[in-house]
Amino acid sequence: MRIKIDHTKCCGCKLCEIACSLKHTEGVNPQRSRIKVFIEETFCLPVIAGPFTEAACNSKGTMLVDGVEVDGCVLCRASCPEKTIYKEPDTAIPLKCDFCGDPPDPECVKWCAADALTIVDG
Amino acid sequence: MDGWIGKILRIDLTKGNCSVEDLPSGLARHYIGGRGLGDRILFDEVDPRTDPLSPENKLIFATGPMTGTGVPAGGRFIVVGKSPLTGAIGNPCCGGYFGANLKFAGYDVLILEGKSPEPVYITIINDRVEIRPAAHLWGKGATETEHAIRSEIRPEADRWEKNILSVATIGPAGENLVRFACIMADGGRAAGRSGLGAVMGSKNLKAIAAHGTGEIRIPDPAAFRQAFQDFLKEARENKELEKRSMWGTWSLPGRANRSKTQAALNFQDGYFEPFTKFEDPAYIRNMLRARDEGCFACPFRCGKRARISDPDYPWTTKGPEHETMALLGANCGIGSLEDIFRANFLCNELGMDTITAGATISCAMELFEQGHVSEKDIGYPLGFGNAEMMFRAMRETAVRQGFGEILAQGGAAVAEKYGRPELFMGVKNQGMPAWHPQGIEVIGLQYATSNVGACHTKATLPFYEGRKDPAHHVELTKQDQDYIAIVDSGVLCWIIYHGPLWNEKPLQWLRLTTGLDYSEQEVALIGERIWNLERIFNFKAGLSGKDDRLPKRITDEPRVKNQVVHLSRMLPEYYRLRGWDEQGTPTPEKLRQLGLEKEGAGLS
Repeated sequence: MRIKIDHTKCCGCKLCEIACSLKHTEGVNPQRSRIKVFIEETFCLPVIAGPFTEAACNSKGTMLVDGVEVDGCVLCRASCPEKTIYKEPDTAIPLKCDFCGDPPDPECVKWCAADALTIVDG
Repeated sequence: MDGWIGKILRIDLTKGNCSVEDLPSGLARHYIGGRGLGDRILFDEVDPRTDPLSPENKLIFATGPMTGTGVPAGGRFIVVGKSPLTGAIGNPCCGGYFGANLKFAGYDVLILEGKSPEPVYITIINDRVEIRPAAHLWGKGATETEHAIRSEIRPEADRWEKNILSVATIGPAGENLVRFACIMADGGRAAGRSGLGAVMGSKNLKAIAAHGTGEIRIPDPAAFRQAFQDFLKEARENKELEKRSMWGTWSLPGRANRSKTQAALNFQDGYFEPFTKFEDPAYIRNMLRARDEGCFACPFRCGKRARISDPDYPWTTKGPEHETMALLGANCGIGSLEDIFRANFLCNELGMDTITAGATISCAMELFEQGHVSEKDIGYPLGFGNAEMMFRAMRETAVRQGFGEILAQGGAAVAEKYGRPELFMGVKNQGMPAWHPQGIEVIGLQYATSNVGACHTKATLPFYEGRKDPAHHVELTKQDQDYIAIVDSGVLCWIIYHGPLWNEKPLQWLRLTTGLDYSEQEVALIGERIWNLERIFNFKAGLSGKDDRLPKRITDEPRVKNQVVHLSRMLPEYYRLRGWDEQGTPTPEKLRQLGLEKEGAGLS
């Protein structure tokens, strides 16, 4: 089971960030969310936090998304020492998506009214 | 306090210092937030007779208990101040992310007072508040300013999230005290009406940038999450909302035109032939949409970002809403989509309210066509349908150059100057929005009685189930005005909550976010209290029941469907339902009922 992201449908409302923080922290604070939306002029890009890595990688680069150059680090899901997001704002403890438990029941997918986030098998 | 943060940030621009105060819980309970709370603070702190452009006027950015919490369509904020356009209270509502960011930074309300000795902008990042010089930003357009500030502050998070810093700014129009200047936020969102951009300009304040990492507490997160899911399920089955998500307000120009309620050629008509091509909203969407945009926490994404092919504008901006298309389009005789979009871009960059700008220019166009003002006076032929000249008029207005100096005073002053005051189509000096009142009479009553001058967002438009029978229109107008005051105090979005979901929802969200036991009666009373408090402020500022009037063209000349608006017939009934006397003054009994005796003392 995976969360599929269709960035062409994302509208940047950040409801997923709210859903995530509400589920995991009992308060509303997008900075403590395990999903983040990168907002560009012509598209929005939700990225879900992956595992923490001890060191930053050295394969930096840019990628083209809908003709716009995006920093590869933005698209990378890893929470690494270089990255300031996917960390608790006060303690800097790394955050990682846990699919809201077992069996997976991600809250962000349930809140996404634009259907940019969906659950798919495999 | 759940829902609210409980803090007010006060910045004195004269002295250049700031302080944080507690938000009194009683005040929050009785005025909720947003419009209610802002109105109350203005009433308490600003003498209604103050010159709106003097340092004594204040500018209040107010969020509500629902702002930033995830309540659907509840990410908004309200700006309150005394309006330089109408001389009355002004409280435009704005979307985007700014309201939520201000709250995450830790403040419910931001109060700006005094006047900075030199151009400045303010950054609010959690508890770090700074006033920075803005001389290098003075004269820049709204989007340009936003990008410049972002690259100066460069918050680390911006690299990963982009546009994490929310910027509310004025354009050149606000700097030059154009009376219908607006405050722009988040790349194309506007606190548009009432000319509060000029108030910001008069304080030498170019922009405010906010970002926060704080938390908003919800009393019962599990119940709140469940309520959101129930709401979403209901919304997904609602056809009206499906249309909102798909088309935004782009489905309306065609609809208004078909029903002959489209303001056209300075309200000389309710139908504009070139707009028939908009009957299929896909025509607009296919041509211009860059992407859908939801404001913070809004599942309906009715905002449509748009771009024009112009090397001067590398950015997108929010596409024009129906009101903009009507006022800058049909009402100025402009039928080409490209021209309307360019006009929208221009207004957004220059920082002008598209509605009053359109009403002012269309008034000048009619004056020109009827020969009351000559080409020599203007400097160019400003006739209906002449898009290039309209752009020129806008640019000149924003910098008060040539004929723009006169336009910048607002349409009422233009019409007055050339001896035809009846040709300005507005109420209390503020331009009338898109719906021609002669198409549906009650809209005339809504425009005439609005406390901020002609405005479409202060009551419910009569297009929905249970809203169509004219026999109940006056009664419903009063009821809806009070209800919208609550919506604006949430701060919820008028566009979603005034129509298809108009029911017990705002009350439900209020209870869920604050954890307080608000009752239906209490909320209805708060709505009425807000409305009456605004009225008292206006009366003390020198307005009276005589200002509840419409242009002669609307009440006397049947232009659309051979109808006029019988305002003189509706007003007495409206006053009676409001508990006001025949002159429209709130009676002592009504004031006592609302707990406003002290505020309203000496009114009649």
